[in-house]
Amino acid sequence: MIHETKAELPLAGIRVIDVATVIAAPYCATVLGEFGAEVLKVEHPLGGDALRRFGTPTQRQGDTLTWLSEARNKKSVTIDLHRPEGVDLFKKLIEKSDILCENFRPGTLEKWGLGWEVLHDINPGLIMLRVTGYGQYGPYKDRPGFARIAHAVGGIAYLAGMPKGKPVTPGSTTLGDYLTGLYGCIGVLMALRYRERTGCGQYVDAALYESVFRCTDELVPIYGMYGIVRERHGPNHNEFECPHGHFPTKDGKWVAIACATDKLFARLAMAMERPELASSSTYGEQKTRLENCHDVNEIVRDWCGSLTREEVLERCYATGAPAGPLNNIADIFGNRQFHARRNLVAMDEEETGETIIVPSVIPRLSETPGQIRHLGPKLGEHTVEVLKDLLGIDDCQIDELRNKRVI
Amino acid sequence: MFSQPEDFGPIISFTSQKGVRSVTFMEQHPGDTSTKDDGQEGGGIYIGDQESSREQDNPAETEKLPMSGVWVIDVGTFLAGPYAASILGEFGAEILKVEHPIAGDPMRRFGTPTKRHDATLAWLSEGRNRKSVTIDLRQKEGVELFLKLVAKSDVLVENFRPGTMEEWGLGWQVLSEANPGLVMLRVSGYGQTGPYRRRSGFAHIAHAFGGLSYLAGFPGETPVLPGTTPLGDYMSSLYGAIGIMLALRHREKTGRGQVVDIGTYEAVFRQLDEIAAAYGLFGKIREREGVGSFVAVPHGHFRTKDDKWIAIACTTDKMFERLSEAMERPELASSTLYGEQRKRLAARDVVNQIVIEWVGSLTREEVLRRCLDKEVPVGKVNSIADIFEDEHFRARGNLAHIEEEGLGEVVVPNVIPTLSETPARITNLGPPLGNATDEVMRELLGISVDEIRRLRQRKII
Repeated sequence: MIHETKAELPLAGIRVIDVATVIAAPYCATVLGEFGAEVLKVEHPLGGDALRRFGTPTQRQGDTLTWLSEARNKKSVTIDLHRPEGVDLFKKLIEKSDILCENFRPGTLEKWGLGWEVLHDINPGLIMLRVTGYGQYGPYKDRPGFARIAHAVGGIAYLAGMPKGKPVTPGSTTLGDYLTGLYGCIGVLMALRYRERTGCGQYVDAALYESVFRCTDELVPIYGMYGIVRERHGPNHNEFECPHGHFPTKDGKWVAIACATDKLFARLAMAMERPELASSSTYGEQKTRLENCHDVNEIVRDWCGSLTREEVLERCYATGAPAGPLNNIADIFGNRQFHARRNLVAMDEEETGETIIVPSVIPRLSETPGQIRHLGPKLGEHTVEVLKDLLGIDDCQIDELRNKRVI
Repeated sequence: MFSQPEDFGPIISFTSQKGVRSVTFMEQHPGDTSTKDDGQEGGGIYIGDQESSREQDNPAETEKLPMSGVWVIDVGTFLAGPYAASILGEFGAEILKVEHPIAGDPMRRFGTPTKRHDATLAWLSEGRNRKSVTIDLRQKEGVELFLKLVAKSDVLVENFRPGTMEEWGLGWQVLSEANPGLVMLRVSGYGQTGPYRRRSGFAHIAHAFGGLSYLAGFPGETPVLPGTTPLGDYMSSLYGAIGIMLALRHREKTGRGQVVDIGTYEAVFRQLDEIAAAYGLFGKIREREGVGSFVAVPHGHFRTKDDKWIAIACTTDKMFERLSEAMERPELASSTLYGEQRKRLAARDVVNQIVIEWVGSLTREEVLRRCLDKEVPVGKVNSIADIFEDEHFRARGNLAHIEEEGLGEVVVPNVIPTLSETPARITNLGPPLGNATDEVMRELLGISVDEIRRLRQRKII
């Protein structure tokens, strides 16, 4: 499903060069593209972006599903930046663009003669997003970084897992990439707004570990003030709220329950048909529940275990108790809320005849909703178009560049 | 120019006036040699203390910020949505937190209490850069006051259950009439539409509903929390901030405002790489992966001899080759053994066991050193105590040490992302309930002192 556009998209007329790889910085370009920017994905002529090989292959030249989904709306232009002719072409593209997204290790672009000062000279209004594992400065800046490492360094991997058990992957290995893409996108939009007023470009320095670290509620101040080191809590985070966790149901499934306030616990007690649990003499107050957390969890666990997942949820929804299923992807495909919100979009790949289902655009804007125009392009699919139409390079020169494997 | 001297941390200076402390924050960016050295050094963070009025509080710096001149009303609670307002505030917007006169934002009671009766540590950190204005929206006069505020603002952030603002007579139609250029961020558990829209939602539920919780933990065992409880709140706020920025851009061109509608579960679901595509095409249901990952081997957490944990991520064959060298077993990366990702995935347990044994034979520092020498992607699984000691966190100024009246020093995560020309700042931590009610009523809405007194007596403000 492609959203109908009511108005010109907010980023119409903005051109983005995405010379980055995998998900973090490219996801910033993806979001910009969904909201109207033209995104040129500049890739190495051989192999292209490593994201093309990340995840499950499809029939199309081995491009993976992750590539198809996350490189949506981009145009692929192959340029070899290790070659002087490639660097020249890239500079010409920069001249005609507004935003550059990159995630090489610090110093790499500089080595190719494409550092910030050079690019800024070519295009003083340029906004450059630089994403790396550790940022552009600091003692670890040269270390390789991936989201897995960022989750560890940023402090959330330490928190995922059973108490005293092994720290596990916090759900997905690419969370830190997406979070950094979002922070990067915010930085770019801020810089764009500033440029509109002053004409002045700037760069955004985003580190994977920082994005993860920023999303840790009071982990920082509580250690700073009281020296308390938060440990792994398994399924139940019972420092502030009880009951708050995952509970198994009779049919071998799981539900999540989160009673942030006393009112919500009262609704849960109603759902359990045990309103007396929420009286002030029993467990009506968060403080009492936290002190007797084990007992409260046992009561909720017993109740959930006596019913199917659907029964637990129905009863909770009936009284407004905060509960939800632990959905796997099959649950999600069958869920009517996902359908009603059109969170899944089916896109047909003409060449292979495959139908690819991908997550649709968020956030949802009422006047200028974002769009998925097409999925991840083939390697170099738009090289000729861009070189000809944008840079005015003729067929003869294009052939020569291709023969020399610059493009 | 990118060789950042390591002692260039952020620069923080305090200005205090009438008991309200504010902090200006300036990130030193590479290439900038001007150092505002007006404080003493404190772990890479410079802290100064100077008297000045609010108006003189680095006016150039504030005007310079991308969001200066933008007024945001944050009538949300907890984090999902309000954090979007925090980000706008960090980049120069004026944020008015509209709260119930008696209870205030429940975030004030969420987390660890402090000596200030109306502020937990979570509130202090995430309530940053706001002024608190108390208005009771359940009273008709409160609604009228609120509409006047909306008429003078650019952005409204809310996260009530869908339908709640409409019940108070504050639906989009009404607000949009009061201010046609208004941009409204609406965050809720399930979004403004769909059959579940009226259900209460928290991040914990959104992680479960959005498909993330199912994936955290060991195969066949209890699914655990994906790291932090409010992760989804932060995620939906990041999308919210992006939506607001896009809508403001549209407004600049057309004069028209709009609604940004986010269900927290959607923000979680959007970040699960190819999970939907792989189920759609192949019917593959991703299960919990314990310490590892389906995409690559070895890619996980490993226990060291001194009973600590490190993360290793060999996403590519090159990375595994480097790891083999670090392990002094280069033969492992040959094409006949485990040189190719495909082969490593097929022999997942064997490869992981080799790494488990090697890591287990060394201390965390030894593993790190050997991996870093060979440029293997590696990192400590940091606890917060590790983070406070870490030289890189210090050099990047990721921990902001802020002096809060009556509490002493409060340490909070600093602003990200870092912008080279217009770095953001923390002006104050979570404010006391209603600290700006009078100021806003008088100066912004032009209400007389007598009238303010009457409104207060009737508990409308």
